[in-house]
Amino acid sequence: MPAVVSRRPSPIAWLIAPALLLFILFFVLPFAVMVAMSFFSSNPIGNPHAVVTTRHYQRFIEDNAGIFHDALWETLRIGLVTTVASLLIGYPLAHWMARMQSRLGHALALMAVITPLLTGIVVRTFAWMTILQDKGVINTTLISWGLIHKPLPLMYNEFGTVVALVHIYVPFMVLTLIGVIGRIDERFEQAARSLGAGRLRAFAEVTLPLSLPGILAGSLLVFALSISAYVTPSLMGGTNVLTLPMLIAQQVGTSFNPGFAGALGVILLAVSLVIVVAYNRILTRLSGEQGLA
Amino acid sequence: MSMPPNKQPFDLGKAAYLGLNLLLLAFLLAPIAIVLVFALNPTPYISFPPVGVTLHWFDKFFETADFMRSLWLSLWIAACVLVLSVVIGGACALALARGNLPGRAFLTAFFMSPLMLPAILTGLALFQSYLLSGIGRPLWGLIMAHTLIAVPYVLRTTLAVLHNFDRRIEEAASVLGASPARVFFEVTLPLIQPGVFAGGVFAFIVSFDQFPVSLFLVVPKGETLPVVLFNYMKFDLDGAIAAASMVSILLALAVVLALERLIGLKAYVKL
Repeated sequence: MPAVVSRRPSPIAWLIAPALLLFILFFVLPFAVMVAMSFFSSNPIGNPHAVVTTRHYQRFIEDNAGIFHDALWETLRIGLVTTVASLLIGYPLAHWMARMQSRLGHALALMAVITPLLTGIVVRTFAWMTILQDKGVINTTLISWGLIHKPLPLMYNEFGTVVALVHIYVPFMVLTLIGVIGRIDERFEQAARSLGAGRLRAFAEVTLPLSLPGILAGSLLVFALSISAYVTPSLMGGTNVLTLPMLIAQQVGTSFNPGFAGALGVILLAVSLVIVVAYNRILTRLSGEQGLA
Repeated sequence: MSMPPNKQPFDLGKAAYLGLNLLLLAFLLAPIAIVLVFALNPTPYISFPPVGVTLHWFDKFFETADFMRSLWLSLWIAACVLVLSVVIGGACALALARGNLPGRAFLTAFFMSPLMLPAILTGLALFQSYLLSGIGRPLWGLIMAHTLIAVPYVLRTTLAVLHNFDRRIEEAASVLGASPARVFFEVTLPLIQPGVFAGGVFAFIVSFDQFPVSLFLVVPKGETLPVVLFNYMKFDLDGAIAAASMVSILLALAVVLALERLIGLKAYVKL
């Protein structure tokens, strides 16, 4: 058989069929259903009087209760702060690991980054509750040292939510950045230093600009993940934080309004899609072929 | 402090850099370690500092019917998801890498997209579809939902291995007279095996820890472990949760070690 690369799909291409079927039935169609439901007054199959309407979106836009816009804004704000904090924590770690000479050190540091990543979100949020609550590790320690007299409000607010979210999403930032920084030739930095630049200047003017695409990709990833977080804001934020995913869960669980939940879902989906497209663009440009997170 | 043994003088900048990074690693690991403290601490509620060591909370976790039922359910679902996603994702990776398909880049991005889109929306969309089609919330519906989220992980690890190995090995086999089926079963499959296994390990843990997709799809008395823990934590914060968390953490550690052995963790530091 000649070893010529043929342009026509080979029989192996049929192996894509099960995945395609799974994704059409359990991914594409459901999302289409969600979008469709957001335009119906009630379940169009169960209720013959259901009509096509834009009232769910109007309800969100008019926001008579004054909570929906706040929830959207709070979601984006938490996402932004989480992203910036993850970058500030993730960059030094990624830089350190990408430049590490010792193989054992590198493997251990990687394990330290990946182990939290593979621990469940509920478990990691629980860990932060034990640290930040009024009788948690930080407050009891500070009180027993006599530094404060009553517990600091570290939890049931946006602060606690962001701290736990940063912990959950830093590994994604680190893993994205290690790849990018590792590919920057170290000799560029060495050249800058031999020409008289200090260590900080060589970093700021050579390595940092070259790692910008990675910074952007990692930030978009963390932002997309943190605006869709549900567990952490609802446990760490208590009643003081209301994000879009929490609002969606409320509409399904307590209000049982799948139409409005669908509309909220479409709004969150629209924000995410913009980010995902931008992220894929950057990765495609970075690696020359379609990127994998 | 004594001087470092090498000839270079003590470098304050380097020491600060090392110190900062060790501190950041501690930020990542300390919360995980602290869970163990609370799992062993005998006080009725979470309190610090610990006053002793007990296995009472592990007893409570393993003797509470709700926890046990959900633990077994989660393990059973994760096992099904592992098998399904390895077969579906592995086949899909082969098709993408070897099938000469048009629009490969788009298809790859499409199959990876459940990772980027909000998982809670995937759960909501499936919930609404199941509701609309009148099938309710069957267990297989939950398993398919988890499989959808797990396939991208298998795809990623398998594609990574497929990209790395030399196609000429397959060509050599076929030049030497092996049939395409024989090339596949005796050359390609053994070579991609570690990638597929690693993906399966990933799929298992992703399903076992899955929360947002499960939230709307579980039925009363049929909740998975993360959902049961979440509901418990809203009202009660005692050592039983810490003990349950240790199960999840030990599983994560086992998975990390398995991945390191299978294909090396370095495979994940890839764009």
